[in-house]
Amino acid sequence: MQDIDTEIRDLIAAIIEKEPEKIGPETRFMEDLGVDSMMALEILAAIEKKYKIVIPEEKLPELATLSATVKIAREYLAGKKNEQS
Amino acid sequence: MIFKDKVAIVSGGSRGIGREIVLMLAANGADVIFTYLANKEAAEGLAREVEKLGRKACPAQLDSRDFNRSKELIEKTKQDFGRLDVLVNNAGITKDKALMMMAKEDWSSVIDTNLTGTFNLTRNAIVTFLKQKSGNIVNITSITGMIGMARQTNYAASKAGIIGFTKALAKEVASYNIRVNAVAPGFIDTDMVSGLKEEYRKSLAQNIPLGRFGKTAEVANAVKFLLGDESAFITGQVIVVDGGLSIR
Repeated sequence: MQDIDTEIRDLIAAIIEKEPEKIGPETRFMEDLGVDSMMALEILAAIEKKYKIVIPEEKLPELATLSATVKIAREYLAGKKNEQS
Repeated sequence: MIFKDKVAIVSGGSRGIGREIVLMLAANGADVIFTYLANKEAAEGLAREVEKLGRKACPAQLDSRDFNRSKELIEKTKQDFGRLDVLVNNAGITKDKALMMMAKEDWSSVIDTNLTGTFNLTRNAIVTFLKQKSGNIVNITSITGMIGMARQTNYAASKAGIIGFTKALAKEVASYNIRVNAVAPGFIDTDMVSGLKEEYRKSLAQNIPLGRFGKTAEVANAVKFLLGDESAFITGQVIVVDGGLSIR
């Protein structure tokens, strides 16, 4: 099973149509990869769907790099687990 | 039942054109959340009428100028109904005066309610529409926003603003299967024009090529067309429902 970093990286790569290798942990989505606000929303929606979590849209500006995105996803996944237990 | 099981929000839904749009949506199968500013009794009466049509109705008190309350309404709708398909921005007020007599408050309240109110609900609904890659928005503007009417600089500016907003947003979200259109009524028999003197009404009607004021149902019919699949290739447009008044 892949770890969450790789899963999210691959998911983002598919949305922005770039090679996954081009997305380093600190590569800036907007400046370095040309991600626009609509693509950022697609990334958010795809993560929500994959992990069955809800990330508030206010978090959208924070999805600026892979490491930041993974951190947010982990945060809400943890919240979900806490709710279930 | 062209809107069967769809969920719609209509602002300013308790009276006039908004009320007619609420009934049209319910009659065609939609559950409707509609906002009202002050007239709770009228809103509850309408909710009962919608329920008679076999659909859910949810009146919500909302001052369109309030961004945070608009956000809460959208959130609550998604929670209660599980989805949102249609947004009709209809809430609007007039404060007609000659510009030389117009106070800053007359200007601000009309712009904030009509134009910023349209922003407030649409801004809070758009992410939902973008995520689900579907949605349909109709904004109620006015021929005043296209041809101007004396003593309505505030109202005309707000309605012209809504037309610009409609066109810009239509371009922005078209690739997400979201359509954004507007309906521009002329003189329609509503509370908004019922205050006019009978003689003045008659002289106004004489200037309308079809010779009469419009009915609220005639505006709702244009909204129905724009929200339905028959207009699937139409976005960013303004349908004028004015009996020919604005023909140039």
